[in-house]
Amino acid sequence: MPTLAYRHPETGEIVDLSIDRDGLAHSVHGELACIDCHRRSYRRYPHPDRPAPGDLDCIGCHEDDDRNLSRGWVDIDAEFKRSVHAVSDSPKAAGFSCHSCHDPHRFRPAAVGEPIAQIVRNHNGVCLSCHGSLSAASSTSHRWLPNRDAHWGSVRCVDCHTPAADFANHEVLPAEKSEKNCVSCHSADPQLLARLYRFQSEEDIARHGLFAKAVFNEAYVVGMSKSPALDRLSLAIMGLMVLLLAAHGLGRYLARRANRMA
Amino acid sequence: MMSLYLYPVWLRLWHWMNALLFLTLIASGVSMHYAGADWLMPFATARVVHNTAGILLTIGWIGFVVANARSENARHYRIRFRTLIGDLIAQTRYYMIGIFRLEPHPFHVTEAMKFNALQQLSYLGVMYGLMPVLILSGWAFLYSVYLPETLFGLGSVWVVAMTHVVVSYLLALFLLVHIYIITTGETVFSNLLAMITGWHRETDEIPVKAPRETP
Repeated sequence: MPTLAYRHPETGEIVDLSIDRDGLAHSVHGELACIDCHRRSYRRYPHPDRPAPGDLDCIGCHEDDDRNLSRGWVDIDAEFKRSVHAVSDSPKAAGFSCHSCHDPHRFRPAAVGEPIAQIVRNHNGVCLSCHGSLSAASSTSHRWLPNRDAHWGSVRCVDCHTPAADFANHEVLPAEKSEKNCVSCHSADPQLLARLYRFQSEEDIARHGLFAKAVFNEAYVVGMSKSPALDRLSLAIMGLMVLLLAAHGLGRYLARRANRMA
Repeated sequence: MMSLYLYPVWLRLWHWMNALLFLTLIASGVSMHYAGADWLMPFATARVVHNTAGILLTIGWIGFVVANARSENARHYRIRFRTLIGDLIAQTRYYMIGIFRLEPHPFHVTEAMKFNALQQLSYLGVMYGLMPVLILSGWAFLYSVYLPETLFGLGSVWVVAMTHVVVSYLLALFLLVHIYIITTGETVFSNLLAMITGWHRETDEIPVKAPRETP
């Protein structure tokens, strides 16, 4: 495959059709033969440098394949059709397809148990491959967001830029409709747990000990990451202290009253 | 009537500013830690309030440490090791038993020493132990992007956050006890008044029942 190139008979230029062999081997499509996907466009020679529009249709292969997906492929297709990528009038969004984000020769979905930071890097890398100028040091984008870089390193773009209601990760929203409510993530029952943190193993999510969360959670999210046991213990100690002080005060009052009456 | 001027203006100003900041930090800190409930401060507001109050608290603490080191107030923070154990036992016994028997207070406030042993140790622990840890962990939070990935094998922000939370709970506990203990002066409000006017006053008739708890 690295040598899959030819000189165009009319222009004389080299047409490079090679792909990264290792990338494909590690991708979700690693076990497929080239012709499994490239049957129609590549019947004639020389091959076109791009498949015909609609030739490589994800849903065509995956319609009934809902393995390991919280949403079906048909749902994903419907989400995409509502997304800003599909409905935008911008010339940059023309011809947007699944492959605009998901390179079929490299794509590998995130798996439960993978480090969250790695998942964030991979997912955001997809967005930044087009929107890279947003993350430049001089960029004023997302200036409203406190600790912007910390957020960018810890959550995926889609965690804010897709509807919160479900896992509709492919319905990418325009900026003005995206999440700006801090408490959506920074609370005890945040959407983030159902989204990004669903990639944590169930074992990690279920841990509740005094320091277990501290040891096994990978990031600290103010308002979300708490040790419930530590909070309960601290509040109980404070409650007890209030009772103790009230009892002490009552004791002092009664002692003085008894003294006055004696 | 015996009067001692124990609380200079700088100390009283610092004390009440610190008190106000403590309450602000508790309200805004709780609003973030338990974010989501309607009766709390909005998260975005709480963040700005907490950061601002935290920075002011830091300035106040540095001011206190410097002023305390350079003024005569420092003498009240020097532990008298020779009598420490006996003083601690006497003071604890008084709060647990003596106070209910209307016994005279075991400690007598003087110009040389305004703190009883228990009070002195708790203020030392708070001002030179818990407060620096609280402030350092707070600043580490502010600049968490510059922290190393891990600390002692744990995520460093987790270590910082847990430290900050635990010390905050301890200081809130201190505040509860502090507010109660100041009522055990000669009258319920005499210690509070002393921190407002600067003057510690005792009636001559019962000089042994000196007020004790003042910051």
